[in-house]
Amino acid sequence: MTGQALVPLRPGPWLQGAGVLGLLLAWEGASQASQSHFVLAGPSQILERLRLDGGLLLRALLATLRAGALGFALGVAVGLGLALTAVLAPRVERPLTTISLLLFCLPLVATGPVLRVILGPGIGPQVALAALAVVHTTFTTVLVGLRAAPASWFDLVRSYGRTRWAELWQVRLPASVPYLLAALQIAAPAALLGAMVGEFTGAERGLGVLTIQAIRSLDVVGAWTIATVAAASAMAVHGGLGVLGRRLDIIPPPVLLAPPPDPPVRSPAARGLALLGLMGFVLLLWQGLMDALALSPFFAKRPADVWAYLVAGSDAAVHRQTLLVALGETASHALPGALAGLASGAGLAALLVLAPPFAAAVLPLSLALRSIPVVVTAPLIVLGLGRGPAGTIAVVAAMVFFPTLVACLSGLRHASRPILDILDSYDAGRIRRLAIAQLPAMLPALCASARMSIPAAILATTTAEWLATGRGLGSHMAMTAMTSDYAALWSSIVLIGLAALAAHAGIAALERALLARFAPEQLAP
Amino acid sequence: MTRSAPTRRQLLFTAGSLLGSGLLGVRPTHAQGIPVAMQLSWLHSVQFGGSYIALRNGYWAEQGLDVTLLPGGPNAPVAPPLVAGQALLGRGAADYDAAAVAQGAPFRIIGVAMQKNPFCIASLPANPVHEPRDLLGKRLGMALINRPVLDALCALNGIDATAIEIVPTQYDAAPLLQGQADCLLCWATDLPVAMAVQGVDSVVMLMADHGYEIHAQTYIATEDSLAQRRDEIVKLLRGEARGWQDYRKDPAAAAALTVEMFPDLGLDPEAQRIQAERQLPLMFTDVTDAHGFGWFTDESVEANIRTLALLGQEVGPDLWDRSVLEEVHGN
Repeated sequence: MTGQALVPLRPGPWLQGAGVLGLLLAWEGASQASQSHFVLAGPSQILERLRLDGGLLLRALLATLRAGALGFALGVAVGLGLALTAVLAPRVERPLTTISLLLFCLPLVATGPVLRVILGPGIGPQVALAALAVVHTTFTTVLVGLRAAPASWFDLVRSYGRTRWAELWQVRLPASVPYLLAALQIAAPAALLGAMVGEFTGAERGLGVLTIQAIRSLDVVGAWTIATVAAASAMAVHGGLGVLGRRLDIIPPPVLLAPPPDPPVRSPAARGLALLGLMGFVLLLWQGLMDALALSPFFAKRPADVWAYLVAGSDAAVHRQTLLVALGETASHALPGALAGLASGAGLAALLVLAPPFAAAVLPLSLALRSIPVVVTAPLIVLGLGRGPAGTIAVVAAMVFFPTLVACLSGLRHASRPILDILDSYDAGRIRRLAIAQLPAMLPALCASARMSIPAAILATTTAEWLATGRGLGSHMAMTAMTSDYAALWSSIVLIGLAALAAHAGIAALERALLARFAPEQLAP
Repeated sequence: MTRSAPTRRQLLFTAGSLLGSGLLGVRPTHAQGIPVAMQLSWLHSVQFGGSYIALRNGYWAEQGLDVTLLPGGPNAPVAPPLVAGQALLGRGAADYDAAAVAQGAPFRIIGVAMQKNPFCIASLPANPVHEPRDLLGKRLGMALINRPVLDALCALNGIDATAIEIVPTQYDAAPLLQGQADCLLCWATDLPVAMAVQGVDSVVMLMADHGYEIHAQTYIATEDSLAQRRDEIVKLLRGEARGWQDYRKDPAAAAALTVEMFPDLGLDPEAQRIQAERQLPLMFTDVTDAHGFGWFTDESVEANIRTLALLGQEVGPDLWDRSVLEEVHGN
């Protein structure tokens, strides 16, 4: 009876093995068939290249891993610090969330050159970009963990008259450990991606450097070999952390959901005022940072420069027109891509629940594939699907698909036990169980996935546009950097930030409406 | 280390360098002297072969300079490190330099490494583009960033640009080989070389042979540096000129040196050798034979100004400053 309701966590190894073998064979077959098209390299070619260039690839991997690990440590430390601050001072949680989201949405193509100047020659930009890539996810995931203890534990601590600090040490921190581990697993591939893109700002070694060389020199086998090495190492770190967790008896957290947004209790005027205050603070932070570092106004534009470029200047209307067209083009790839990723992730999760053994085989594979960095997949997918909209949309969808699938499967597992029992006692079929009990349970996970997909979609679209298609805002930003039109570049960043915040607010509102209808318990304080 | 009192940025800079422990720039092992950096426009490759020779043979060290060559990359514009004072000299191109100046960067072009612009139209022998007229009705793969370049070529040769179908690509040769495009807008010294190494012959139409005159691989410095650190700039360019003279005598050795100096870049020795050969005719012409490496004439400046106007950039001859070259070559 219970066997059907729960997807077993440990799959049959033969099924998984057969799945992987099948994939490898299909891959090899496809590569043999497309030999002359400069698109795909198969496992046999990759193995051969690994044998020939093993030393070079290992040195590159170590260089990238070193920068990635430093950034990983730095970013996780900052994310943890932010989460602790938010728990100890709940008032600052919303501003912190907004700022960390904005930082996360900063396009790599824009931050790279500025970081290179601030940090000088060396691996500074690689480390900084790796750190920037992990702060937001660490912050939001650990924050959920710090709140994950049952209310009765807090009551207990308070009944002994203990302080907030005691509450933190004795209840919150222990409760957050599984979430921290999950955050580290999410952060590992992101840090690797940041380190690779950091190398684009000028480096002498590393996987990012080798990727550029391979694409430029038509070295398809090289590009796929680097992708394989990057993906394998990200998967190894991901898996290693999982093994560590099991050794330490850390039970994986039930659902990796950011808490649903606060219900709107304040008056619209008060909320508007808070928003204005936050905006002002972000602008001050921006101006202050540029001034404190004494960065040249030639490339480090301030809020007033962007204002002049977009609003007050004589050509502002033309500028707005250009940027909005580019933004529209980017949105026309990001939006369908994100929706396709969400729909296919949720859809496959639902299908897999109807066939549990399949879910057991697919879930670990998805967890692993989730850890492949986008800078590696983007050129490959575009190589395969071409430079039209389809390629970019597919890159975004792939980026959103895996985390959505994982989150939704996890949500489906948490269908209400009593309802399932009732359905079972009436001998209801799998479809009815799915529709009545399991899909509503999946909804919060889907909503959280949608929110988390915003930065992912922005990152994937602008990266694909920049590296592969030469269209949209991603490509426009690369061009403005090359032609020293830094006012346009910073204005693009501001537009992306505003679009991300608007999307975030929109999804949060939709989420509240949906949850109020289908899963009211999620909104309880 | 630095001449002025350290600013907060320099302290951060130092912290960043310490964090990175190993500087990425290339330095000779016996480094001493005045620290000077040159910002390259791309990842290390034989494109900068003369600089590596100068470094290896001590042409800078013997003048008391401790030179660091800062690598570029797809996300490493040359202008910011120059404006920020991290690099004394940068490798630019007349069109990008003019754009930076229009945005307020006080740059001057003080030397020109590539006398002929390396932009070309590369096609396959079965469907070749030998002259601009052949472009009509073809599908041209190019990064949209380079749209002004194509428009200028069409204007110079009286061709209707709308009769060319543009296939937006980023910078790689795959679209041509996959049949998504009939020809590519690229540099003669990279994608055609990559195809040659893969065993694919290509037809290369150099745009410089059809009126497109834009100085490429320029040496740029800020007006401030030219006023205050002129001596170092002269020495830097002098060593550079010596390095490139050596390069000209034996490009294959320069290619070998490049591969040897940067073992972690995965450079293909064969590709480096072909590239080293192919950039020779772009860099060494009658003008350099008569006046020395990096020289530019008033006529070529005039031609550049005309081409830049077609690219929508209005500049005057004061963007160029030949005084450093005159000092370097002693006339």
